[in-house]
Amino acid sequence: MEFSPEKSLWFLFVKGDLNAFSGLFKHFYPMLHNYGVKISGNKELTEDCLQNFFVYLFENKNRLENVLNVKSYLYISFRRYLFKHIKKEKKHLSYDDLFESNKDFVFSVEEIHIQQEIFLIKNKALTTLINSLSTREREAIYLKYYSLLTTKEISEVMNITYQSVQNTLQKAFVKLRDKSESKALQHILNP
Amino acid sequence: MNNIDQELLENLIEDTSFINWAKKENRNDINYWNSWISNNESKIETVDLAKSIIIGINFNKTKLPNDIVETELNKVLTAIDSPTPFSTIKDKPIKKNILSYVPYGIAAALAIFFVVLVSNSNTTIKHETAFGEIINLTLPDGTSVVLNGNSFITYSKQNPRDVTLVGEAYFKVKPIPSTKAKFWVTTNDLKVEVFGTKFHVNTRDKKTDVVLDEGSIHLVLENGVTKKINPGEFVSFSKETEKITHTKVSKKNPYKLWRNSTYIFNNQPLISVMKNIESTYGLPVIFKEKNLEQIIISGGIPNQNIEICLKAIEKSAGVKLVKRNDSILISTQ
Repeated sequence: MEFSPEKSLWFLFVKGDLNAFSGLFKHFYPMLHNYGVKISGNKELTEDCLQNFFVYLFENKNRLENVLNVKSYLYISFRRYLFKHIKKEKKHLSYDDLFESNKDFVFSVEEIHIQQEIFLIKNKALTTLINSLSTREREAIYLKYYSLLTTKEISEVMNITYQSVQNTLQKAFVKLRDKSESKALQHILNP
Repeated sequence: MNNIDQELLENLIEDTSFINWAKKENRNDINYWNSWISNNESKIETVDLAKSIIIGINFNKTKLPNDIVETELNKVLTAIDSPTPFSTIKDKPIKKNILSYVPYGIAAALAIFFVVLVSNSNTTIKHETAFGEIINLTLPDGTSVVLNGNSFITYSKQNPRDVTLVGEAYFKVKPIPSTKAKFWVTTNDLKVEVFGTKFHVNTRDKKTDVVLDEGSIHLVLENGVTKKINPGEFVSFSKETEKITHTKVSKKNPYKLWRNSTYIFNNQPLISVMKNIESTYGLPVIFKEKNLEQIIISGGIPNQNIEICLKAIEKSAGVKLVKRNDSILISTQ
């Protein structure tokens, strides 16, 4: 058992402590909100789902005693919860189709940070490049560099093997490097 | 993809020293990998790709405004309080007696650990760890501090090079050659005065232990005596008993020290080892048989994770340790 503030709060929350629950909510809500909007491309749907998701967590707290990693547990179950709701609206799609057809996991220019000396136009080029990757690759990049999950946690959240996460990331970066025509853009990727 | 050495790539991505090189974080690692690369020109594409993956994409994190989070939280709390008719799970109404507020207090205290503690006034800064928690801090002057569990340091904003420690910590003081500014650590028993060096301070058990790794330091004891310590020396002083020990850390002498989240014990009786566990994790230790207390232990014991820590002690002392909710029980195997 590893000791961390997250785990201590989780422990108290499972015992029914509302303050601990609020602490967890405030800590994780912003990141799950961002992730949900990325997956669904729909802010209202994300917020509705998040609200129900947290109520669901509270009502089922008795079954959540053995959660080992709080952060990846929340990402995994919220992702599943959100997909279930998206699927309700689009009944004809299978789970995998749904994910592959999802074009919403896009990044905006503002989200990508580049050192000041490099011009905005290159930032746009990089954003376009990233958004040209497959959804799976974009989600892996998001989870690794935005949500700061470890490779193992990403494999759990995306429900693929550790090796596939590594391959996905590698492929993404090979594509980014091959597609960046100008040397300058390569420099951004590899300063 | 044809010039990529797949096996090397995967090793590089997981290699701490290589990660340090990619992030330009450790001078030794930077030198090592620079020379490795110049000797392995053919691997340059693999190295470049590994570096890209490690550095990744730098995202600007859009922060959700606090008031939105608060509003959403209130919605959820209201929903929890008044179960909807189609909710299948029956919720007991939450009792509002005085006792039910006790865990709130604990939770509030824990929640504070998410952020740096700013206590008393705006000018005093306090960093505190819970039982079993270890944090890495960088003070405003660039000095780095590893704070062990159940410990805290305080300093005033105006003078971050004068800190007070209760508990256990490892300091890497950043030297300021231009002004020769000193750095002080004050404990209940003594004051450590340094320019720039690495040392370990432990204030548990009503005494202060100081072990010096590099450089040189002066100790000003509570009784006014000053002492100079050289690297590899160990000083222990207690204000209460005025007892002072000053020895070289060697294979023969008993000592204990802590660094990189590892306890190093040399010829220490089990009882003194368990005292450290008690103060770091807040779990009292019960010896079933008195004679077990005097088993001598030598070696390094990782203390970031209590389970691994206890296993390591079990192995080196040849005893049985059972961790219960509120204590640790020691018996013969």
